[in-house]
Amino acid sequence: MSRSRWEDHGWRLIHAPAQAPALHMALDETLTDAVGSGRRAPTLRIWEWAASAVIIGRYQSLRNEVDGAAARREAITVMRRISGGGAMFVEPGNTITYSLYAPVSLVEGMSFQEAYAFLDAWVIEALRTLGIEARYQPLNDITSPAGKIAGAAQARRHGAVLHHVTMAYDIDAAKMLQVLRIGREKLSDKGIASAVKRVDPLRSQTGLARAAVIERMVATFRRLHGLTDDHLTENELAQARELAENKFKTPEWTAIVP
Amino acid sequence: MHGEYKMPGGKLVVADLEVRGGRLCHVRVSGDFFLEPDSALDWIDAALNGQPAQSGEAELAAHLKAALGGRAAMYGISEEAIARAVRRALGHAR
Repeated sequence: MSRSRWEDHGWRLIHAPAQAPALHMALDETLTDAVGSGRRAPTLRIWEWAASAVIIGRYQSLRNEVDGAAARREAITVMRRISGGGAMFVEPGNTITYSLYAPVSLVEGMSFQEAYAFLDAWVIEALRTLGIEARYQPLNDITSPAGKIAGAAQARRHGAVLHHVTMAYDIDAAKMLQVLRIGREKLSDKGIASAVKRVDPLRSQTGLARAAVIERMVATFRRLHGLTDDHLTENELAQARELAENKFKTPEWTAIVP
Repeated sequence: MHGEYKMPGGKLVVADLEVRGGRLCHVRVSGDFFLEPDSALDWIDAALNGQPAQSGEAELAAHLKAALGGRAAMYGISEEAIARAVRRALGHAR
């Protein structure tokens, strides 16, 4: 199989109103499979969160990563995603999260590291047009001189690659530390000093509203690779709702690595 | 028993396990690494179960490599890093 180029694909944009955390997990699986099977064109999906959530990686231990009692007390949903990587903490409006669903041909022959750098490049350019000296930092981070901005995770299944990214817009670090069991050595890695209450690289470094940052990201993708506005089909939504109920909301899945 | 190892330039590998009759059992490897396909995590746990608790790091890593047979792609983790986390769970300092 030979490598395809961005312009070989008619990229679609999905940016729906706020959805529940479980539906986001399910949409990633549904849309990755839809692109892999050719039922859907390669797609950029911007997430809007309807509720606060902790999302752990596919291979993380639930009890090692999450303080379940604290999560219940703070009414934070705990979800497991289909990609590897580390835990993240989201509240509506505090992150910018997006997914790319691409045929695996787009990263054909690339190492994992090359594929992360390649699929992050457009957003790094978008951030630079906003004055942030962003760069890819192996293995899977986007960073700036002022610290980490984002973490990416990829999963490959059935001929498609899922590349999803969560960027910190304005995070309540104190609350995050109540629910996530993050070791002290990880804190430096995440650019969080112990006394700092908020992690707000995108807000403080751009001075822009979250929606304005998203608008610039979408415009940059459109300029570089082309992008047509789209929406979820009835079938996709039905399939994702079914998966949300029967997989992502079940303890069997969330505790698959207890 | 619980052991952790942060692979230099990579991710954290955690091993939780027990020892019965001198052999590893109930092995669970976890962490913030990347692995394809996702079922490879079960292959890793299964390969470690039943291994002698006295196994050295190189032995465990070689055994894992043979058991996976190139079927798993790893990013931020390696057979050696997993073996190191297992050895730490067993109380070996390195």
